[in-house]
Amino acid sequence: MNPGQPIEGLDLRRMGSGVVILVVGGILAAVALVATLRHGVTEWSYALVFGALIAIGETVQFRVDRSRNRAPIATSAALGYAMLRGPSVGMPPELAQVIAVTAVATAAGIVPRAIAGLRWDIVVSCRRGISVACAAAVFEALTRRDLAWNGEWVEALWIAGAMMAGVLSAGLSDAVIGAGQATERYNRPFPAALRDELVVMTRIGMAMGITAILLATGTSLIGHWAPPVVIVPLLLTQFAFRRFASAQRTYRATVRSMARSTEIAGFSSPGQNARTAQLAVAIGNDLGLTPARMEALEYAALLSGVGQLALADPSPGGASLLRTREERQRAAEIGASVIERSGVLDHVAEIVRHSNDPYRMGRANNPGIPVESGIVNVALAYEQLVGEGTGQSPDKAMESIGLGIGAEYDPVVVESLRRVIGRGFRF
Amino acid sequence: MLAGSVMRPRVGQVYRTSLDYVLVIALYLLSGVGSAILVCAVGALSQDRRHPLVKKIFNGAQSVLCAAAGGLVFHYTGGPRAGEVLSEPWDAIWTTTAANATWLVVNAVLLCLVLFLEGGQPSPTTFIRKVALPTSPSLLGYGLLGMLLAVAWLSGLGFLSILLIFVPLYVSRWALSQYEAERRAQAATMRAFIQVIETKDLYTRGHSERVSEGVGLLGRHLGLSDDRQTALEHAGLLHDVGKVGVPTSIIQKPGRLDDSEMDAIRLHPARGVELIGNIPFLEEVKSAVLHHHEKYDGTGYPAGLGGENIPYFARIIGIVDAFDSLTSTRSYRPARGVEETLDILLQDRNTHFDPLLVDAFVEVIRRHGWKTLDQPAPDGSKVVAIDHDDLSLGSGGGATGNAAGVE
Ligand SMILES: [Fe+2]
Repeated sequence: MNPGQPIEGLDLRRMGSGVVILVVGGILAAVALVATLRHGVTEWSYALVFGALIAIGETVQFRVDRSRNRAPIATSAALGYAMLRGPSVGMPPELAQVIAVTAVATAAGIVPRAIAGLRWDIVVSCRRGISVACAAAVFEALTRRDLAWNGEWVEALWIAGAMMAGVLSAGLSDAVIGAGQATERYNRPFPAALRDELVVMTRIGMAMGITAILLATGTSLIGHWAPPVVIVPLLLTQFAFRRFASAQRTYRATVRSMARSTEIAGFSSPGQNARTAQLAVAIGNDLGLTPARMEALEYAALLSGVGQLALADPSPGGASLLRTREERQRAAEIGASVIERSGVLDHVAEIVRHSNDPYRMGRANNPGIPVESGIVNVALAYEQLVGEGTGQSPDKAMESIGLGIGAEYDPVVVESLRRVIGRGFRF
Repeated sequence: MLAGSVMRPRVGQVYRTSLDYVLVIALYLLSGVGSAILVCAVGALSQDRRHPLVKKIFNGAQSVLCAAAGGLVFHYTGGPRAGEVLSEPWDAIWTTTAANATWLVVNAVLLCLVLFLEGGQPSPTTFIRKVALPTSPSLLGYGLLGMLLAVAWLSGLGFLSILLIFVPLYVSRWALSQYEAERRAQAATMRAFIQVIETKDLYTRGHSERVSEGVGLLGRHLGLSDDRQTALEHAGLLHDVGKVGVPTSIIQKPGRLDDSEMDAIRLHPARGVELIGNIPFLEEVKSAVLHHHEKYDGTGYPAGLGGENIPYFARIIGIVDAFDSLTSTRSYRPARGVEETLDILLQDRNTHFDPLLVDAFVEVIRRHGWKTLDQPAPDGSKVVAIDHDDLSLGSGGGATGNAAGVE
């Protein structure tokens, strides 16, 4: 939202596999457009209503849950358009027309964002187009075009089942593509990434899918009155989500600010906490932790130094490696009890509590200590060696950390650190 | 179709109310007003056994009355029935919305009646202003789901249609509960953090939380909007957060402070803003933290602002800050009584503080009272650090005596 941040729009170098998605989406859209123009558009009014919904949904984006899809209304509208049937819709749109309308409307929705300098992401929009195409294909394969809602449960169940299958195929295809992208972007193991995508899908994805089914059912039965009737409750739901998302942002910013207090107090050098957290997150991604654990890990890395606030005087340069282990463990203990007092970050407190335990005396014998503690421990040590002030080379730092494998540091984590650094991670 | 009522008690308590009226609206359309009322009556009989009898009777009567009133409106506006819904969708939309509005009005009136009879908090007007009015647009909107439920039911889906409607309702409830959870987490985390900062000095413990409570009282008295009320309470809690940047040795230094040490203390408002600058609070929170040591006559710090140029929230916090310091024990002096302190504030009402706000605050405290906590006794045997709030209170009665020599 802020103009200073890079616009993801069309930066091909940063896209990686996004280029493939873009090409597939582009070809799909082009073929569909040509086919539709040849045959002519059926039922213009529905094409316009749903196209407008998709375009508006694309323009008014916001972050929902952890999904990269920021336009749930557009997704629901496009899926709904793919699954129209009689009696109200005399000539349901064909597969090509569904894709063409989605593509044109999406483009129309992106233009205002691009002009206004807001963030837009063509790859995510393409992903949506591809998943809608999947849903439309599955739905069309399962239902005859003259199948209509006639009030009998046989037809109703058949169409509803086909809609469920269509929505599921859309969700699955998007989850697979999303997991592939997460693997590429954050170096997460593919199975872990797929699991996370599926979890997100069961929440916000299910809501978008059901809304699409409601939209399609309603429109098929009562025509043009259905979209507004479905959209009003949907907007209210979006509004609730929006408030939730902004409260979440505020909370995350609060935790970050609290972490920076150790810098203001002189216990750590500027940016030290952020660097430690950045590395810890990279390691966590490499090990494929779940999103909830990733969040706790990030908070723990940020807040690992908070306990020092209760100690008397800052150590020079904020290097807690310089002090004795007892002191560091005491600071970790104090920090953990502070974090615990908030009553909502118990898991974070647990990670911080053991973040200065040497591996041999801690996790090696006590499986109750989370691996995240080991990650924070290694991230802290590496940051101390490489981070701003001291500035050793990554290889040198890796070497000295290697000396502590098994005794000071968790071997699994050090291996992961080696991979992360090997892939070119730099602060 | 009446079998729908069988489903009802099993869908979970939390979603009941909203699901209730969505079901009632669908029943108007599907099987008529009579059956909707009947379902409400049946529902009233199958309430949670743990509720006291009076509450059960009231709840039951309330839902039956609401359903009947809504049904009456639905009937006389010519609401469509069953198959007509599909052929006359607009009629179905507006008649059910009218019925829904009636439902909400009757519901609010009944609740107000109860609040009025009980005579406690909240008063009926606050209830209407804070609860009934803000929630009714969204409840009207969700009412459309009732109409959709009828449409989906008539499509041949039958009971499956309830699942379709249930999911959007559930998701919005989920988002709402998550929102509440995030807000609670935010408040709890800030409080925990402030407590750490206050561990540096035994005598200022709890100060920030009490200031937050005090400005909360004053803010409610001044009738702030919900958003600003929350912002004010946050600002009260965080006003001294920049003290984390003041070296502990200065905060705990016994006796007089030299000029450079005073300067270090004078930096704490700016440090506070630096710290909370990235949190998306209202702008007022940040300006309040920055200017909470300004004085009305322009002799305060950091900017030497005076009068109305001092941000509103900063003026409020200045008063409560002084009040709580004076009613708290310091190592070098005992706590003052509440009345005594209010008199001091009134004496200073034109020099240090905004006179109108002081009057309002004095009125609030005289009405609500102020609980002073068990506090550590002053320890006269030692020469100890003087709290920065006392330092800034200066001569006008503020910290007369013990700390007066400093400024
Ligand atoms: Fe202060």
